[in-house]
Amino acid sequence: MEITRRDFLKLFGGISGAVLLGNMDEVISLPDSWVEKAQHGPRIETWHNTICGLCPSGCGLRVRLLDGIPVGVKGNPVYPVNKGGLCPLGLNSLHSLYHPDRIKGPIKRTGAIAEDKWVSISWDEALKTVSDRLIELRNQGAPHQVAFLGHTEGTIMQRLIRRFMDAFGSPNYFQYASSKNDAIPYAFLQGHSTIPAYDILNARLVVSFGSNFLEEGYSPVYYTKLYSHHDEQQTRYVQIESRMSLTAVNADQWIPIRPGTYGALALGLAYILIREELYDIDFVHQRTFGFEDRKDGSGARHVGFKNMVLGNYYPEKVEEITGVPSATILKLGRELGITRPALVMGGQGTLDNTNGTFAAMAVHSLNALLGNFERKGGVFFVDDPPFTKSDLKFQDSVARDGLRQPSIGRPDARTFPFTQFSIDTFAKRILSGTSYPISVLFISGGNPVFESPNSREVAEALKKIPLVVSLDGLLNETSEHAHLVLPDHHFMERWDEVSNVDSVGFTHVGIQHPMVSPMYDTKHCGDTIIELARRIGGSVGQAFAVASYENEVKEAMKGVYQSGRGAIVSEGVGTMWIEYLQQRGWQIGQYASFEEFWDRLVKQGGWWNPIRKKVRMDQMFPTPSGKFEFYSHKLEEKINFLAKGAENGASPQHRERIFNQLHISARGDNVFLPHHEPVPYDVDMPVHLTTFRVLSMRDGQGASLPMMQEMFGHSIHRHWETWVEMHPETAATYHITEGAWVLVQSTVGTLRARAKISQGIMPNVIAIPFGLGHSSMGRYAKGHGANPYAIMKNMYDMLSGKPALQATKVMISRAM
Amino acid sequence: MTIREIGALLTIFLAGNLQSQDLDLPTDPLDGRIVFEEKKCITCHTVGGYGGTAGPDLSRDQYFGSGLELASIIWNHAPEMNRKFRQLRMDRPTLTEKEMRDLLGFLYYLRYLGEPGSVANGKSLLSSKGCMNCHSVGGQGGTTGPDFRSIQRYSAPLYLVQAMWNHGPAMLDQINKGKMKYPLLTGQNIVDIASYLRQVSTADVEARLSVGNPEKGRTLFEQKHCSTCHVGEGKRKRIEAGLIKIDLKKGVTEVASAMWNHGQAMLDFMQQQSIEWPTFERNEMADVIAYIYFLGFEDKDGSPSRGKEVFREKGCSGCHTPGGKGKGPDLGSAEGIDSPVKMIQLMWNHAGEMEDMVLTQNKRWPLLSTIEMRDLYAFLRRSHTK
Repeated sequence: MEITRRDFLKLFGGISGAVLLGNMDEVISLPDSWVEKAQHGPRIETWHNTICGLCPSGCGLRVRLLDGIPVGVKGNPVYPVNKGGLCPLGLNSLHSLYHPDRIKGPIKRTGAIAEDKWVSISWDEALKTVSDRLIELRNQGAPHQVAFLGHTEGTIMQRLIRRFMDAFGSPNYFQYASSKNDAIPYAFLQGHSTIPAYDILNARLVVSFGSNFLEEGYSPVYYTKLYSHHDEQQTRYVQIESRMSLTAVNADQWIPIRPGTYGALALGLAYILIREELYDIDFVHQRTFGFEDRKDGSGARHVGFKNMVLGNYYPEKVEEITGVPSATILKLGRELGITRPALVMGGQGTLDNTNGTFAAMAVHSLNALLGNFERKGGVFFVDDPPFTKSDLKFQDSVARDGLRQPSIGRPDARTFPFTQFSIDTFAKRILSGTSYPISVLFISGGNPVFESPNSREVAEALKKIPLVVSLDGLLNETSEHAHLVLPDHHFMERWDEVSNVDSVGFTHVGIQHPMVSPMYDTKHCGDTIIELARRIGGSVGQAFAVASYENEVKEAMKGVYQSGRGAIVSEGVGTMWIEYLQQRGWQIGQYASFEEFWDRLVKQGGWWNPIRKKVRMDQMFPTPSGKFEFYSHKLEEKINFLAKGAENGASPQHRERIFNQLHISARGDNVFLPHHEPVPYDVDMPVHLTTFRVLSMRDGQGASLPMMQEMFGHSIHRHWETWVEMHPETAATYHITEGAWVLVQSTVGTLRARAKISQGIMPNVIAIPFGLGHSSMGRYAKGHGANPYAIMKNMYDMLSGKPALQATKVMISRAM
Repeated sequence: MTIREIGALLTIFLAGNLQSQDLDLPTDPLDGRIVFEEKKCITCHTVGGYGGTAGPDLSRDQYFGSGLELASIIWNHAPEMNRKFRQLRMDRPTLTEKEMRDLLGFLYYLRYLGEPGSVANGKSLLSSKGCMNCHSVGGQGGTTGPDFRSIQRYSAPLYLVQAMWNHGPAMLDQINKGKMKYPLLTGQNIVDIASYLRQVSTADVEARLSVGNPEKGRTLFEQKHCSTCHVGEGKRKRIEAGLIKIDLKKGVTEVASAMWNHGQAMLDFMQQQSIEWPTFERNEMADVIAYIYFLGFEDKDGSPSRGKEVFREKGCSGCHTPGGKGKGPDLGSAEGIDSPVKMIQLMWNHAGEMEDMVLTQNKRWPLLSTIEMRDLYAFLRRSHTK
């Protein structure tokens, strides 16, 4: 039954503040029996804990239920990631549960794409259609023609999908939005692909290079909670960014910078630290490699980081590149050198460009100069949760043959050689026909047709696949291309785990569990996979001995229970107390059995362990030298490997070819040192296009919720529409006034948005928020605003494979 | 916490008046840590090095004792604490009776948790105690017992004691056969040894223990037949008194070491009596020791007549007059003192007001020793009962 928000309020008077906000009367859909229950029920109130599933940040959620019907949410105050805080999206999670356009059961497309012609089918028919095709492919010896495009699924779901694909015989499981690519610069320097956590709570100075961590980071609420102590801790925040983001607004100092030049500024600060000997000399000499000039085994001389920086990145030169005054560079460099602990963070602004890897390396090198590793107020790495290990192999000969096939989404030596997956490679291979065809594609989460710079190619590639199966619960631009939709539960109806959110400073596992029985005829995507495996049978079926996805989660948590480490989240279980007990060999809980542990875990919402395993300094960096490498052997080895190819020997010519393929303009030793790579901007386009995400939208999901549309640009009074921010000088140059319609034109396309004129952005730079411009995703998202991906050039950082979101330049003009 | 648990500590305080009844015990004495954090005690006080530095470390010896001993300490330095609150611009926290009960139980329990060990000491102890005559580390040492690298990673020293205890008869047999000296353990010995073994062990999983559950410990005390020898006349109070006499109010591993040290004598006696050697699994030894340990939290009885004198001499009677005609309420009324925790809680909550009063009236803060606290409670309880 569809009712209005007003009716919902009448039924459940006094529900959460979040639902009460707003001026519109949106539609809420809930089963008839619930309305009946709400009218006549005894109104018994209960609260349950779960984890928010609307983005990957992993915030603990406390859900209020009346007679078993969810009516309100707030942050779980004892969950350590968010400590009771929630972003607007989380506060509106009930709207997504009650969204009127949720898919209510399996559907089959009967018309053309985007015609919105679907018919309902039974689960049995849907699963039979898919499993028959899967069995057929295995019978044909072509299991590798199945691909699974995931998004941000957690560890246990990843393990389940990988087990299915391994048993089935396909090497084609990919995560579209994996943060693994973000870790590549760190891997070059520190030897392992772990995104660092930043101890901003204990730092006295935090310098952020384009990391809008209060709004766009891996877990904005977690960092907001840490940031909230800045007054009492007397921490000074410096935000370096082209646009004054939410983080910049809250910082003590905002330093505007030209897009694509973050690495140069970091090296400019390194110049001051080195020149004035303000770096941690002991750490650098004992724990780093490549700082000083050196001779290798063959006697060849190599330039070290020190002399490379001193020769190339003096303040006036850096000012030319970055637009940051040399006096500012000098002052900040000295402040960084004399303040302890001082912390340096990289982020989206640094990574999202063609030179992102080298820029992030330059930024992270500052932490090495400051000796920040595993120090209070520095950077550190958290341990993996001690889940039950799962390494059983269920592979018959068909599966083994299939797994020997090359992965269709894994880039080759010419493009993104360091990455496991690229949506660009995936789409191009399908379109070009140079690889084997994909016959069945599963899509779960994510929306690459909306949120990738090669969205047109992705859409065309999907059209070439005979059977696309979406596991989404709400149709979006990508699932519109599906032939079948086998809808997943809403996160409030399902079991899952959210563990070790990137950059959160402790090991943790959040448990999602059903707040309500499924409202519609949906199925957990994990159970859909298990059911398909059973129907396929043989070794594929044997790979799934457990009865349900719930049991998968439970089995994995037995390892956590048996480890005796950490604690179930609860009151009075702070870091210090856990450490106090662990040092003495105690664990904090008392559980007679795993079942008792599990019941308490589910009730409380999660487990965490803030105590990291002790790592000896000489084991901290698993690089070839065993040290932090300013000069990256890993990068050099890979490039040499690529250069050798079939030709035996990495001659200078071969290396030159690889440098060109990877768009690296530096030469000599500089290639393997953190350095600034110029971005190949269009010279005839005058204005830099930058983009950002607001908390209410995240990756565009928020657009499906009316309250998030209302809040989209609340600080500048822009609702349900996209705006373009520009400096007054830029506006004057192009005769644009506040609120006027602006045409933004790139070599790829044009979009229209209203002008927002602000001092909070560099001149000659514009900024457009992501999130709107949907042609699908439900009644509230469709037809509002513009999507900046539509005018972005399809460019990438060739090392990390990340889309270069800040690499497009545009022309702007006042729209008629 | 269940109603039974909430009542647990209260009953412990009342035990002096309930000598013929069973002593109720807490199931999780660490619940008070929540009060410790939520009431911001941790802002000023440290526990084993964790917490603020404005106040003393509450895990130090001087802050260890029964409920009324702790109450005496808290009361006597209340004015000093109040000054700190004002300096730090903190609100002075008030506590409910339950919160006070949990907090005191928690502070008492800190000693039980023990201290971290020294790896270097542990290594040398393995040799000096003769462990290496039978055991080895990485192939170096004896061959009768297992190589320490292959055993579990005993993060909890008590887990190691439990394992030693369980194969005590076999060990004793070997010691006797080899004419070796029975290894006696003192102080932190076992903690240091466990620290070293944890480091050399190659096991993936660390064997930790939950902090003991005194209530379960009591049941186990019976089930494991400890009471066969320790019961005496068969009355619980006697058992408890007996155990307290041998000063078991120490850290858990010290208590465990004491048990280990009389293992030889026990074994001989048990064999004479045909009693089976008790073995412990999972958390059982921690629970039993928690039970024994918690007996020391109970206060000795005070003297009502001496308490009456304290009440008068310390100036309480100036405000708390019969019929409630003074500044303070009549403590003999229905809402008066019916448990030591209640008394401590009321004293704490009105310490701020009292401090103002003694200051403005140019009086001294009335210090109360533990004995005076006991007597005062005995007097107030009697007044209330009347």
